[in-house]
Amino acid sequence: MTILEAARSLRVHSVTSVELATAALSRIERLDPALRAFITVTPDRALADARRADAELAAGLDRGPLQGIPVAVKDLFAIAGVPNTAGSLVYRDRVAASDCAVVERLVQAGAVMLGTLNMHELAYGVTSANPHFGAVRNPWNPDRSPGGSSGGSGAAVAAGLVFAAMGSDTGGSIRIPASFCGTVGLKPTYGRVSRYGVLPLAHTLDHMGPLARTVRDAAIVLNAIAGFDARDPASSRRPAEDFVPAEGCGIRGLRIGFAESFFFERIQAGVESAVRGAMARAEALGARLKPVRVPDPAAINAVGQVILLSEAAAVLEPYRQRRELFGGDVLALLDQGSLIPATDYIQAQRIRRSMQRSFAEVWSEVDCLITPATAITAPPAGQATVTIAGGGEPVRPAATRMSRPFNVLGLPALSIPCGLDSNRLPVGLQIAGPPFEEARLLRVGAALEDSGIGVPPPPLTAEC
Amino acid sequence: MTDWKALAHAAGLAGDEQALERVTQPLETIETVFRPLTESLPPELEPACTFDPQEPAG
Repeated sequence: MTILEAARSLRVHSVTSVELATAALSRIERLDPALRAFITVTPDRALADARRADAELAAGLDRGPLQGIPVAVKDLFAIAGVPNTAGSLVYRDRVAASDCAVVERLVQAGAVMLGTLNMHELAYGVTSANPHFGAVRNPWNPDRSPGGSSGGSGAAVAAGLVFAAMGSDTGGSIRIPASFCGTVGLKPTYGRVSRYGVLPLAHTLDHMGPLARTVRDAAIVLNAIAGFDARDPASSRRPAEDFVPAEGCGIRGLRIGFAESFFFERIQAGVESAVRGAMARAEALGARLKPVRVPDPAAINAVGQVILLSEAAAVLEPYRQRRELFGGDVLALLDQGSLIPATDYIQAQRIRRSMQRSFAEVWSEVDCLITPATAITAPPAGQATVTIAGGGEPVRPAATRMSRPFNVLGLPALSIPCGLDSNRLPVGLQIAGPPFEEARLLRVGAALEDSGIGVPPPPLTAEC
Repeated sequence: MTDWKALAHAAGLAGDEQALERVTQPLETIETVFRPLTESLPPELEPACTFDPQEPAG
């Protein structure tokens, strides 16, 4: 059931929010010991939220389609009175004093809060093999990685534990688990969604956004969380809008660009086949597919890595000498960041501005870009390298190189599932666009979804 | 090019060779792409620390 379907059912009284919350809690109890998608489950809070939603709807107070819908947030997001660990020993005793901006807005929209979700330690990695809270497992195959860093969010949505989940994305951490777990994931434009109250990894790269089962469900969540927040210095004053694509929305005449170099190089055959299939479908729906050249994404990624390593090392420097607090992979990244000179960080931010200007010219040629969301499907859990086109590559760059450019540029990017590979693992398609054009990306995603592009529920869900 | 191993030693990060490689090898990889980009920056180019994704082209 989607958020839209559940919202309709709540309003014709064929189901109650308490029933939805109880079913979600029961499913979490049954499946989560294996999935490890949650860090903290808040059943009392969820049932109280659900009772309030039912009472308000009965009294005629309608807060919109999220009212009474069970959701959860990555453990970076503060929920008042709930542990807020970022999947780390650094923050293991931290209990949030107040809600973060996103949770405030979800509460205002009437959502039912089920708890906080597991993640890669400190949001600094792509596997969600958390050494402190357990490795998140992929609902499609428990021996495969769910991706990260919002791995708990991807697994929880894919397994039907929640209707939607919040994730953060610094180099792909919403879109990678969305791709590996077969869900929709949206990284909005930098500044579109407030970061206030979310533990940071890298201040100028962090973005907050939803993972959901469908494009329209992701849009419903974005409607609730988008908008100016004076407490976030990067928050945009651009007015929020209705992001939900209309039923039967079309993409006829839309110019969709694709960059053969980089974005279609060194990708797994199953990924290429599914993504090109979706591109053909877009063309059949009337879109104009157009090859384009874009400023060198490999260079953008190098700049992004310098910025990420530096900013994350700065955020966590007070703790770095307490080395027992960190997993080995995170510690190595923090050490790397500590070595980067200030001049390199500033040069990276200067190059970033130059790249932003160059990339803006792409939008005079096309309305959006289509790329694979990840070069690979979910790799075996614990595997350090993957084989792509006969060559080996570490999992981290293989997972992030399609997504990271849009963090560096602050541009909106949507991942939707577009098919299965020969191992019956989901393939993610990325749609990226100009600043603040989330509605356009969601329209493209919804049109493809409406035309049948997508994946069935994972086998774990079907068996339960 | 930056001698990342010397920097790591100077920062007291030198463990065994494998640990040192784990820290410095990724930096060497990034450096090969990043360093050339820094060589022709116009002096008036501002850093993007206050980042505005709406900034116009050109």
